[in-house]
Amino acid sequence: MIASFLATHGFVDPTYLFLIDFPFEREYVQSIVWVSLYVSLIAVALSTLFSLAIAMTVGFAEFRGKGFVVALINTGMGFPSVVVGLVVLFAVSNQGPLGTFNLVFTREAMIMSQFVLATPVITGVSLAAVTSVDEGVRDAAYVMGGTRIDVALVVLKDARYGIMTAILAGLGRAISEVGSVLIVGGNIVSDGTSVTRTLTTAIQLEARQGRFETAMLLGAILVVLVLVINGIVLRLGGGRV
Amino acid sequence: MTDQLAPSTSAHQRLECEGVSHGFDENRVLDAVTVGVDPGEILAIIGPSGTGKSTLLRIMAMYHAPESGTVRVADRDVWSLTEQERLSIRRRVGMVFQEANLFDASVRQNVNYGPRIRKQWRERFREMLPLTTNGSATVTEQLELVDMGGTEQRHVSSLSGGEAQRIAFARAMAYEPDFLLLDEPTSDLDPRNTAVIEDAVKAARDADIAIAFATHDMHQAERLADRVAVMIDGKLIEVGPTERVFTNPDDGRTQKFIDGELVY
Ligand SMILES: Nc1ncnc2c1ncn2[C@@H]1O[C@H](COP(=O)(O)OP(=O)(O)O)[C@@H](O)[C@H]1O
Ligand SMILES: [Mg+2]
Repeated sequence: MIASFLATHGFVDPTYLFLIDFPFEREYVQSIVWVSLYVSLIAVALSTLFSLAIAMTVGFAEFRGKGFVVALINTGMGFPSVVVGLVVLFAVSNQGPLGTFNLVFTREAMIMSQFVLATPVITGVSLAAVTSVDEGVRDAAYVMGGTRIDVALVVLKDARYGIMTAILAGLGRAISEVGSVLIVGGNIVSDGTSVTRTLTTAIQLEARQGRFETAMLLGAILVVLVLVINGIVLRLGGGRV
Repeated sequence: MTDQLAPSTSAHQRLECEGVSHGFDENRVLDAVTVGVDPGEILAIIGPSGTGKSTLLRIMAMYHAPESGTVRVADRDVWSLTEQERLSIRRRVGMVFQEANLFDASVRQNVNYGPRIRKQWRERFREMLPLTTNGSATVTEQLELVDMGGTEQRHVSSLSGGEAQRIAFARAMAYEPDFLLLDEPTSDLDPRNTAVIEDAVKAARDADIAIAFATHDMHQAERLADRVAVMIDGKLIEVGPTERVFTNPDDGRTQKFIDGELVY
């Protein structure tokens, strides 16, 4: 099944790479940037919602196995991305639990693996941020008539810079990561536009093919992108959130 | 049962503890404390550090239930009510701590917090939109009462300790509480800031708010309080009108504390 999929999507087709000229290449590069952003931003957005819920629960609720969850988060932060990719690929493959959804070599599968990679980072950094909010601030919100939700919102708001940092760290991990997106996405290009090729997987392919100029260009775009995202998020953090 | 719609100045609008005992682990902190505050009076809770004044105030603020005893507001046992009913009672209580505990935001956002969380979610979301101007008259009024008029737009990180505490006081008053609990609100302040807060406390009493404040400064108790409750080692050893307690205490330990001999 995978073999036929590769064939129809022109997976690593070197002949076509030599045929593209400049105008095509521009579209090619644009589509790669778009796929990179699409996959990473959606994964990080979903992961942020999930991670904040976990961080608040672990930070302020008492339950059994809390120490285990914290250990899991810390281990997850340094988890090898290739292994995550492998596990997600298995999950979406024919033999896996999500096999019926036909997600092999799709952006959805890439979003899943980046979600798994970003979540421990975002959760871990957010947890440190929310637990460092002064207890007196929580007390104040409560005695003024705050419900549990009001108190949680005050904590999240007071921890906003730390949470921004957490999101940035997660986005940084997601957008610059090669291993898992290569495995679950397959680095596919169709008709000169990227289907599942990201900046990172494109760079490694272009470099391997000796097309250093394109690789360098993509590398520069990746660096600029990361800087721009940092700038936007820091700017947002300075104002009313 | 009192009419719930009765104005807050009705004689039954009382916040009281009856036989309240509480401890942390093995440590007994409050031992059968019975005390209450009425509208338009200032009750000082005095006693050495570590005698349980803060614990008592937190229980009066319905922070948590006491291990035994009852907390009543307007004759209703607050811990026999549903969480929703208790919330509406909690929302009539204001509290200020020794630290200002301000939120990392502007002065206006801090003082407006109480009024804001009392609104419907719809309204709260609408106020978050950048175009809505929600300059509230109460915020301005409360800031003027603590001599902080015109500071709405300042970020709290630019305030001095005394200014921050005055904002904390304004924040607790902005939703017009019927009960005000103050836990050593001026312990860290200089005389000028202390005087501003003390004047604001008196103004709150004149507005018929019931006020209980903890302090280890008996001079402050003498200046401000209508009644004084003396606590030692988690027990309330004496309650009475300020003048009587200071001139002619029933309990020998009260005299010792007033004379500064009872230092723990
Ligand atoms: N959350 C808590 N956990 C454990 N012990 C506490 C806690 N709060 C207060 N205590 C203890 O209760 C006693 C009374 O404290 P507190 O009410 O703060 O006294 P005060 O305000 O009169 O100085 C102290 O011995 C203190 O250590
Ligand atoms: Mg205290």
